[in-house]
Amino acid sequence: MLNMKHRKTFLAIAAIAAVFTLAGCDGSSSGEEPNEMVLYSVMTSKIAGFDVSDIGDYPSARVVGQIFECLYQYHYLKRPYELIPQLAADMPEVSKDGLTYTIKIKKGVYFADDKCFPNGKGRELKAGDFIFAWKRIANIKYICKNWWIFDGKIVGLDEFREYTKSCKDQFSVDYSRAVEGLQTPDDYTIVIKLKKPWPQIVYLLAHQPTAPVAKEAVDYYGKDIISHPVGTGPYKLDIWHRGSYIKMSRNPNFRGEFYPSEGEPGDLEQGLLADAGKKMPFADKVVWMLIEEEQPLWLQFLRGKIDASGIPKDNYGQAISASRNLTDEMKKLNIHLKTFREPATYWIGFNMEDSILGKNKPLREAISYAIDRGKYIELFWNGRDEVAYGFIPPMMKDYNPEISKIGRGYNPQKASELVKEAEKIYGGKLPRLKLAMGGADTLQRQFGQFLQRNFKDVGLDLEVEYMDWPTFLGEVHTKSTQMFSLGWIADYPDVESFLQLFYTKNISPGTNNFNYSNPQFDKLYEQVAVMPDCPERTELYRKMELMILEDCPAAFINHPVGYVLHHDWLYNYKLHAFQYGLAKYYRTDMAKRAEYKKLLKKVK
Amino acid sequence: MTTYIIRRLLYTIPIVFGVLLLTFVLFALVGGDISIEIAGKNATPETIKEIREEYGLNKPLFLSWDSQFINHFKSALTFDFGRARDREPVIDKIKRGAGPSLALMVPMFLGEVIISISIALIIAFVRGSKWDILAVVICVAGMSVPYLSFILFGQYFLAYKWGLFPVFFSPDLIIPQYVVLPVLIGIITGLGGNVRFYRTVMLDEMRSDYVRTAFAKGLGTGRVLFKHVLKNAMIPIITQVVLAIPFLFLGSLLLERFFGIPGLGYLMIEAIGSRDYFIINAMTYISAILFVIFNVITDICYAWVDPRVSFE
Repeated sequence: MLNMKHRKTFLAIAAIAAVFTLAGCDGSSSGEEPNEMVLYSVMTSKIAGFDVSDIGDYPSARVVGQIFECLYQYHYLKRPYELIPQLAADMPEVSKDGLTYTIKIKKGVYFADDKCFPNGKGRELKAGDFIFAWKRIANIKYICKNWWIFDGKIVGLDEFREYTKSCKDQFSVDYSRAVEGLQTPDDYTIVIKLKKPWPQIVYLLAHQPTAPVAKEAVDYYGKDIISHPVGTGPYKLDIWHRGSYIKMSRNPNFRGEFYPSEGEPGDLEQGLLADAGKKMPFADKVVWMLIEEEQPLWLQFLRGKIDASGIPKDNYGQAISASRNLTDEMKKLNIHLKTFREPATYWIGFNMEDSILGKNKPLREAISYAIDRGKYIELFWNGRDEVAYGFIPPMMKDYNPEISKIGRGYNPQKASELVKEAEKIYGGKLPRLKLAMGGADTLQRQFGQFLQRNFKDVGLDLEVEYMDWPTFLGEVHTKSTQMFSLGWIADYPDVESFLQLFYTKNISPGTNNFNYSNPQFDKLYEQVAVMPDCPERTELYRKMELMILEDCPAAFINHPVGYVLHHDWLYNYKLHAFQYGLAKYYRTDMAKRAEYKKLLKKVK
Repeated sequence: MTTYIIRRLLYTIPIVFGVLLLTFVLFALVGGDISIEIAGKNATPETIKEIREEYGLNKPLFLSWDSQFINHFKSALTFDFGRARDREPVIDKIKRGAGPSLALMVPMFLGEVIISISIALIIAFVRGSKWDILAVVICVAGMSVPYLSFILFGQYFLAYKWGLFPVFFSPDLIIPQYVVLPVLIGIITGLGGNVRFYRTVMLDEMRSDYVRTAFAKGLGTGRVLFKHVLKNAMIPIITQVVLAIPFLFLGSLLLERFFGIPGLGYLMIEAIGSRDYFIINAMTYISAILFVIFNVITDICYAWVDPRVSFE
């Protein structure tokens, strides 16, 4: 029999053992019901909210896209990206003058059940829900990030925005007020009248913020609509634990969509058409975990707690071999690699209104030649990205394959010669140049040091100013920087998304942060902006890119290339540049996932 | 005593005022304009103007009853911190984060204090011996290793390699499961500095005449250490311990971030990163008040444990 002293010792040991046993149970079953298919995804930054009309960032769009749908969507498998109807019954009917778009919407589409509706039952989607959502974006009191989509484009909508200025607040706006350019002849037809041709409108109608919104939800939740999404998509929100995780489950009201039956060459061999024609979504639940640090993200992936993950810089060698294939360790774990080119470009921008840089083209050219892009990509991105010779990303249809022969690459000798020429223009030794960086983390500082060395090698002196993001944006928007490190991700697969960055009317505080102005470029921009997709337009796009390269308002650095790993229990996984609502395509083999623990133990 | 407490509480007013002034100056005057960031990448100047109006950034900074500073002050006094930049009420965020932060910090704090004091007492008792030297060397080594190294090591080996703990928070885990490893790491990292501090405090007491007298009278080691030495060493211990309590509320930034614990440390650093002035203001204000209150409690405790300390 244990005496009192022994009993206490025994209890202490038992308590410690219980804690360790409890801790050791790391939720492998993850709480899913038997036979329930759950997708485990990761967010590497917090999302801003679920108010679809105000979505302005990629992480939010990726998550919110599971709940809301647009008129159009991009084909999941086909490349180049092709638009197909989502809530629209068909592609739009466009008038001959390109000014009127008539869109029929699908019948029998229902919003998810929510207490904002009578008896909590989701009602059928009507054309008016689109009009309401777009008028809401125009409501100036709502302070929406996405007004740029419709700004100056739809007949009467700017006037509606003007009217909202006189309203007390966002909720006192009369949405029944007519807008000539937005009409609904019946509950299933939308007629959009444009001020001038706008061929990109179809892309914008596939852009997340143009999704329909139920007025009942806005009226019921007010500002809290940010956490109460009511959509028509395949999933509905169960829990949003801000700063931690999101749980979604199947929307029982979802009409159901069918997995595509066609793809691009190679899709069939990769098994991406195995579920062709099957009803989606496949997974019952989707869990998104917020993991911002690289080590836990990587370890969670290796442990099988996340289905797919990017490769942290420090773990690149563990995952990818010198031949850019998976390492043996990854192969043993049945992990697969997918790569894709992102529709993005990063650059060092020059403020063309700066007294030193703006008037000195050889100096701008010298800087452009001075940057060792290959080394930068090797050092900072494990050699994954592509060198940018122009601003059009290689994954875009209108990319100029000859650009690498025309654009500026690393050429320190030429840069040194141009510096001498620049000094003649300046009238003496060039002063210290200043570069603004939107961040002060280690990576930014290392990049700053890298550039300083590049500049020094060609006889230029560079000072890097590190500042937080809002301060940086403020400096750029007020034309206070000399040079700035920035980039752009296309909102839609049209080069126009990049070209507008150089249009005079968009000069800071608009999107033309270079403050670049070229009347010839502007004239061409106004011409291409109303042109439909055709070979002539492609030629003009390329011509305009060359004009920019000639004037050199920026040194283009890199086009990112995504490397993503996924476990073999995740099926139908194909990387997509416009990742809105892709969870519906994914299927997981839960038995394989359960087996992974044993496999991992063996490999470890 | 009541007079003393009231007097001390009145001192808090200028301190809290100073904190509010400082946070306001830092964010409203020194920092940049957040409206451009809120507006997004394609924002029109008109939208930016509306945001400035919505957040009151167009109002005068001082010198008006409706100035930004007066509004800042009003919101603090009424505990109506408004909505964060993601439009969620700030107070809801704080309430939600307090639980996980305290679940992490309280056991860590208690474990750290109890273990540190116990070890300090033992090594103070064997002062000068090889065990004492070894303990001091280990403490210095522990203090020299960066906090992050302990986290990375613990997470990689204890959680991933050996599978003793979860690597990261998961919604399906209960609190004890996901806080055990961070608590252990927190305790271990804190031991070096704490043991060194308490050892010094204990040694000062151990050299006192009354300790020698107690041993000479034949009292046992345990009785001398725990009844006499520990009690007399309480003043510096109270200062260290009670003043650390308000910081428990702030959570642990690194541990919360690496283990995905949705606490207040994480909330605070996110707010600083995204310049969510509303959260920073609320957290700074609440921390300042807690700090001042616990300062008063410390002073009261002094008088309780040491009769020589008077409220006069």
